[in-house]
Amino acid sequence: MVFIVMSAVICFSFLTPAPQQIIGEASRVFYYHIPQAWICVVAFAMSMIFSIRYLRSKNLHEDDKAVEAARLGLVFCILATVSGSIFARITWGSFWNWDPRETSIFILLLIYGAYFALRGALEVEEKRAALSAVYSIFAFVTVPFLVFVVPRLAPSLHPEDSIVNENLKFTMGPTVLVIFLASLATFTVIYFWLFSLGRRANRLLRIQAETEE
Amino acid sequence: MDGNYVALAVTLIVWIGLFFYIMRLDKRVKELEKRAK
Repeated sequence: MVFIVMSAVICFSFLTPAPQQIIGEASRVFYYHIPQAWICVVAFAMSMIFSIRYLRSKNLHEDDKAVEAARLGLVFCILATVSGSIFARITWGSFWNWDPRETSIFILLLIYGAYFALRGALEVEEKRAALSAVYSIFAFVTVPFLVFVVPRLAPSLHPEDSIVNENLKFTMGPTVLVIFLASLATFTVIYFWLFSLGRRANRLLRIQAETEE
Repeated sequence: MDGNYVALAVTLIVWIGLFFYIMRLDKRVKELEKRAK
């Protein structure tokens, strides 16, 4: 099902007219860039929730889930940055312009990069899990601020009314909306599939480590 | 428009490759889970 829907999304995203005529062909990236950014926020939120659950239960499986969510969040954050940079190159003439939106996603990448650096620096498992759980909670506090607030505080080249206008009404036509929602749903399913795979692999590694002991 | 067909072909190839890679990983994890039981 995922395979068919995503293949259809890819075909329709390139074969139907560009979603925004003013921006032109580059606006097709919108079908991929926004779902990637969405998954990034969902994954970081899940990482925070599992971190809270770890701090409450001290169950290392919760820590594994928090790491897996943060790892996938970082991957999707990088993908959103790369797709955004391609869009920037075509429409603004340069891959990187230190636009408020680009700067905020760069800070977000640094914050979650530091999360993995912190984990790498600690050897005792319980200490690593506890400290990184606290860090993950504080890291997520910055996410809504960096994703939704900071880019709107300063003038930006980034298109702001791609999904909804000031009155919270959809700005896109019905075809574009269907392709966009299908893309959003498929990216979400792929994320949960990858998350489940990572979680199960981590559980197997933990079982293997326990049997070796 | 020709560029769109090239981009479409590249994206589809990447997606098909990625999908079957994840499917294979899923199968392997399932096998290992069965063995662990």
